[in-house]
Amino acid sequence: MAATEMILNATWEHIVLVYTTLLASILVAVPLAFASLYSQRLASVVMSFANLVQAVPSFAVIAIVVPFLGIGFVPALIAIMLRALLPIIRNTYIGLTNVDPAQIDYANGIGLSEWQIQRYIRFPNAYPAMFAGIKFSAILANSIAVLTAFIGSGGLGEIIFQGLIGYNTEKLLLGAIPAIVLALLIDLSFTLLEKKLTPGYIKQ
Amino acid sequence: MIENFHEIMALWDKHLLTMRTIEHLEMFSIALTISVIIGVSVGVIIYIRPGIASPVLNFLNILETIPDLALLVILLPLLRLGTGPTIAASVIYSILPIARNTYTGLKGVDSKYIYVAEAIGLSPRDILLKVRIPMSLPLIAGGIRIALVFTMGVVTLGGLVAAGGLGTVLQNGIQLYEKDAILLAGLWTGILAVILDLGAGRIEKKLYKRYGTWQPQK
Amino acid sequence: MPTQRLFERIDSIELQQVSKKYGSRYAVESLDLTIEGGELLILIGPSGSGKTTTLRMINRMIGPDTGSIRINGQDVMQLDPVRLRRNMGYVIQNIGLFPHMTIGENVGLVPKLEGWDEKRTNARVRHLLDFVSLPPERFIKRYPRQLSGGQQQRVGLARALVMDPPLLLMDEPFGALDPILRTQLQEEFLEIKKEIGRTIVFITHDIEEAFRLGDRIAIMDNARLVQVGAPEDLIFDPVNELVADIVDTKRKFKHMDTLNVKDLMTPLDAKYILNGGVDACDAVEIMKDREIEIGIVFEKGMLAGKVEMVNLLKCEDDRPFLRDIAKPMKVFALRDSVATALSEMKRSGEYVAMVMDGDTVGGMLVSDEVLLKLI
Repeated sequence: MAATEMILNATWEHIVLVYTTLLASILVAVPLAFASLYSQRLASVVMSFANLVQAVPSFAVIAIVVPFLGIGFVPALIAIMLRALLPIIRNTYIGLTNVDPAQIDYANGIGLSEWQIQRYIRFPNAYPAMFAGIKFSAILANSIAVLTAFIGSGGLGEIIFQGLIGYNTEKLLLGAIPAIVLALLIDLSFTLLEKKLTPGYIKQ
Repeated sequence: MIENFHEIMALWDKHLLTMRTIEHLEMFSIALTISVIIGVSVGVIIYIRPGIASPVLNFLNILETIPDLALLVILLPLLRLGTGPTIAASVIYSILPIARNTYTGLKGVDSKYIYVAEAIGLSPRDILLKVRIPMSLPLIAGGIRIALVFTMGVVTLGGLVAAGGLGTVLQNGIQLYEKDAILLAGLWTGILAVILDLGAGRIEKKLYKRYGTWQPQK
Repeated sequence: MPTQRLFERIDSIELQQVSKKYGSRYAVESLDLTIEGGELLILIGPSGSGKTTTLRMINRMIGPDTGSIRINGQDVMQLDPVRLRRNMGYVIQNIGLFPHMTIGENVGLVPKLEGWDEKRTNARVRHLLDFVSLPPERFIKRYPRQLSGGQQQRVGLARALVMDPPLLLMDEPFGALDPILRTQLQEEFLEIKKEIGRTIVFITHDIEEAFRLGDRIAIMDNARLVQVGAPEDLIFDPVNELVADIVDTKRKFKHMDTLNVKDLMTPLDAKYILNGGVDACDAVEIMKDREIEIGIVFEKGMLAGKVEMVNLLKCEDDRPFLRDIAKPMKVFALRDSVATALSEMKRSGEYVAMVMDGDTVGGMLVSDEVLLKLI
């Protein structure tokens, strides 16, 4: 059936967009959070930027991207990233800095190198918060990806916008319901993954 | 792109940004007021009946994951186009942060104050109204601040379902590919949201200062 | 809503065979104790001995498992807890002033809930703040965190007295304060006690405080009442080793004759030092910040005397300098005998004196701390 095929195609496009963005966001955000550990100035710039931009409506972020990058998949990806980066940066940075200073002292005392401290002390400590940030970003990306169909990213939002033009209720629901199901699946899968990956010493 | 102030003002007038801003803020205030009333009530109710707290919060958490545009769109068949579904969707998103913070605040009041309140003869109702709710105000304000950001986001989407407001300008700008208009309206919407958020942040901080607790030195 | 007063005065509080168990452990076991109307009864004993549980059963914060508690013959379990508690003042160690209410609102809360009109509440609050030496015009609008620990404790007392309760329950009210402040508040409390003449049940773990304030002392240990009686009964006729241990003051004074002031003085903490050129009103703020109730005034490096917060609080228009109002204080030399110094201090009712080493300051002699060091 044509409708099924249309939905499957749009869902696939949607998933590709969401996960590409998520991956790109992680690749930018995590190193940035680590780098912020070494520069107070970078940390304060990044964190205050993250706090400010968080308040900007997604639609406005998408709109601001258009005059600079035009429309299509890449501008959409950038627009989503601008929002999805923030929770990962914030959570990772907070997790990294929230280490008991005594642990760092001790690690220095037994002669761990800077890299080893990052690897064995800071990272494991930041890990749960970082994961929560990624989960939140995935849901956020899924949500904004519906909207970026408006600037030609494709995906489930495109069916919704087609439905809006002619006020076609059936099409609205055909776009909206899979997007909702996808959101619930992301939430569920990340929750399961979180349980599986949580180190034993944190579990109750 | 934009050359000078006069051009900006001309662009502003051309796209009726004053009127759109007023529409925007009107929807925003109505939605946020309703959210605060419902959110605080839900928070108090689940505090009084702790048995239902966890299912209610879990349900609200699930609503929170739904993409905002998808939520807005599935409300259309029920509420038609316009401000109705926009306000309804804003409220649905905003109940959780307000209710959750209210509940956490009411539950988290230091037990020593509750103990003293009982000892000087306050009834359970007095304790809720005179001690727990006032002492939770900073947290409730924090929840409202999160709701404010959500509400701004959804109200901006209202432009896509003929609700008016600044989203309308963004929608037209993108459809007609008028870069100047998109940039102006996009920046203005962003600035407005940041200003409101910062204002709410200040109020929150003040409340923390005013209601901050003092511990005697050991 | 106004609640009817349950009793205007206390004739007696009778605890009969009262027990309270938590799990398999007794918090209070088979307690028989009668508190006479108008007396100040001290409950003292090691922590976990059941003092606080006993106190909390009197105002129904805790219900006994067995036995009965009767006030003027009425079983407290038959009374409405809210009404009961509004008839009793309650003061605890961590004070628990509500941080979101001003001092005036804190003290006036129960009257407001009782439906008093604003004028009557306000008059009552002002009267009480005056009574606890906090000038209402300066304090009524402040928040608890803007007050020092000692000032907060005074507000706690004012709040407890607001409904003019015939019974006061006090759970280590001065326990969290430093020794000098504690002594000061105890002295003031004795004055207040004389004036109000109510029945008071007072918990402490400080035997000095017990002797200073109590009409009778009840010693508890291991959930049981060990002995109850006037201070001299306990000293001269202790029922067992524990009581003898707790009250044995003789031992403390055994070596006193051989000790010098130097052995038992405390170093002069810089926070107590005030400059003679400071005026009285500024001094109140400084003392509040430093959490001190007494200040030692120096003028050009020379000791000018001492000032006390209670007296300074009355400062209004004239703003006198500390050097002009500082009261002379006793000065001892390093080699003076502690016994002589203490008896001189006791005679003039002072609890702190200076120790000088020639022209330089040697330290302070604080009567309570001397006793503590001797234990």
